[in-house]
Amino acid sequence: MNHLRVMLGVYKQYWRINILTTLEYRENFLIWFAFTFIYHGSAVLALWIVLNRFPSMNGWTFRDMAFLYGLWMLAHALHNTFFSTVGDVPDHIRDGEFDRILVRPLDTLFQVIATPGQVFPDELILALITFTAATWYSGVQVDATFLIFVPLIVAGGALIDLAFNLFISTVAFWFVRVDALRWIVVQLEQEFTRYPISIYSRGVRLLLTFVVPFAFMNYFPARFFLHKAHESSMLPAGVGLLTPAIGLGFVAMAYVFWRFGLNRYSGVGH
Amino acid sequence: MIVATPRFRLEPYVQFAQKAMAREATYRFDVFTSIASVLVRVYLLRMVWVALYARNTAPSDLPLHAIITYSTVALLMGLVMDIDQTRMLHDRLHSGDIATDFMKPIVVPLYFFADGSGEVIFHAVLIVPSLLLALLIVHIDVPGPLVLGTFFVSFFLGYLVGFCINFILNCVAFWTLEIHAVQLIVTWVTDLFGGEIIPLVIFPAFLQKVAFALPFAAMFSTPLLIYIGVIKPERYAAALGLQAFWVVVLGFVATVMWRAGAKRVIVQGG
Repeated sequence: MNHLRVMLGVYKQYWRINILTTLEYRENFLIWFAFTFIYHGSAVLALWIVLNRFPSMNGWTFRDMAFLYGLWMLAHALHNTFFSTVGDVPDHIRDGEFDRILVRPLDTLFQVIATPGQVFPDELILALITFTAATWYSGVQVDATFLIFVPLIVAGGALIDLAFNLFISTVAFWFVRVDALRWIVVQLEQEFTRYPISIYSRGVRLLLTFVVPFAFMNYFPARFFLHKAHESSMLPAGVGLLTPAIGLGFVAMAYVFWRFGLNRYSGVGH
Repeated sequence: MIVATPRFRLEPYVQFAQKAMAREATYRFDVFTSIASVLVRVYLLRMVWVALYARNTAPSDLPLHAIITYSTVALLMGLVMDIDQTRMLHDRLHSGDIATDFMKPIVVPLYFFADGSGEVIFHAVLIVPSLLLALLIVHIDVPGPLVLGTFFVSFFLGYLVGFCINFILNCVAFWTLEIHAVQLIVTWVTDLFGGEIIPLVIFPAFLQKVAFALPFAAMFSTPLLIYIGVIKPERYAAALGLQAFWVVVLGFVATVMWRAGAKRVIVQGG
């Protein structure tokens, strides 16, 4: 219990430092916020342009696609806000910082997560606004099921992100440079989740459902809430509510792999 | 202090370009990921356009095979166009090495151009394997020699426009060193308004007007529309003329910024 209190104290300090750093480098923050805004803005604008000319993508309208994007954006922003630091492990290993983390008397993964940087919940706030607007715009019915399951689905989606972030960082115990691998997975996630997966060939659909289950971040839940179950006979509509379980399952697997890697790790020879 | 250049010799610049090529060739993983990324996007865009054309009326001047050709050629062009050829300017401003560069008996902007060209030539070579592998995923149209020849001229002019825009952005580093986010923002805007992802001709009318009035259209849109035959031979002169106009205007801005920036470094003593 005492241990938990220490961790909570550390975690509070972590956010205090993050926010103070952000306030200190205000111009920098504003530029990066503009970047985040324009990144998502241009993605949505591109979707709008295409669907303005071609009103239906396999039965999905722009309104549906806005909901699809909003759902992914919210889960992804949640992950970026709380767990993006997990992606710094390869850097820590390379510059020797990781060896210092190992000898401190707190859980290694917790320390990695709570390494201060310049994290600020700006993307999360933007994502909440976008998701709210997209929900209203797409006409999704906000009922009890929605209110109970959407927070769980978003958390589950963030866990799916975390699982792959952690998995790739763990690979760095063996191969120090994992930039290429991370880059491929990130691209797969960002570009393939933008459209309903029913437009892809069978192999890619299976990949996005079972191997790198990014389809559970937005496609399956959106299919459930938008009542589009008929469009893909692959799986029943209800799987859209399984995202939290999938997220927990994949994080558990990634954590086991992390522990395995940690036990094998012997430094890079500093 | 600038040492007067005694007599212009080309050999050093050829050497700089060769050095840059050798440097790029050592990053094997990057080579692998750039090709993989092109192939993944070729597949993705093919699926997207197939899905869009399946359920909507196709534009008469842009049949499915033309738009798939457009996207594939755009991605291959991106291998060369998406390189920040003058990043070296920014790097050397950051490290302060720019001060000693000015003392060397070389023309400094030409040094950056030579280095950037070496990098570009290396990446241009990657187009060949990328194209061959892309042909396994899609079929692309090959136009006649007149169209193809004009396309290459237009591609080169587009490359110069891109070079000037990059150079201008890197010159901003003379005044403020944090330009990474700004560069990324410009990249997103270029991708969308340059017609790299979506042909500008399917933009809604008012956005089309905006996009065609911006210099970004000269980078991707003009050569690509020539390639797929939307710009007919009678309009070649006007299209290439507009590209040349942008090269001159942006080249002028780049020169002015370079002079002002260089003066600043020399006055401050590096």
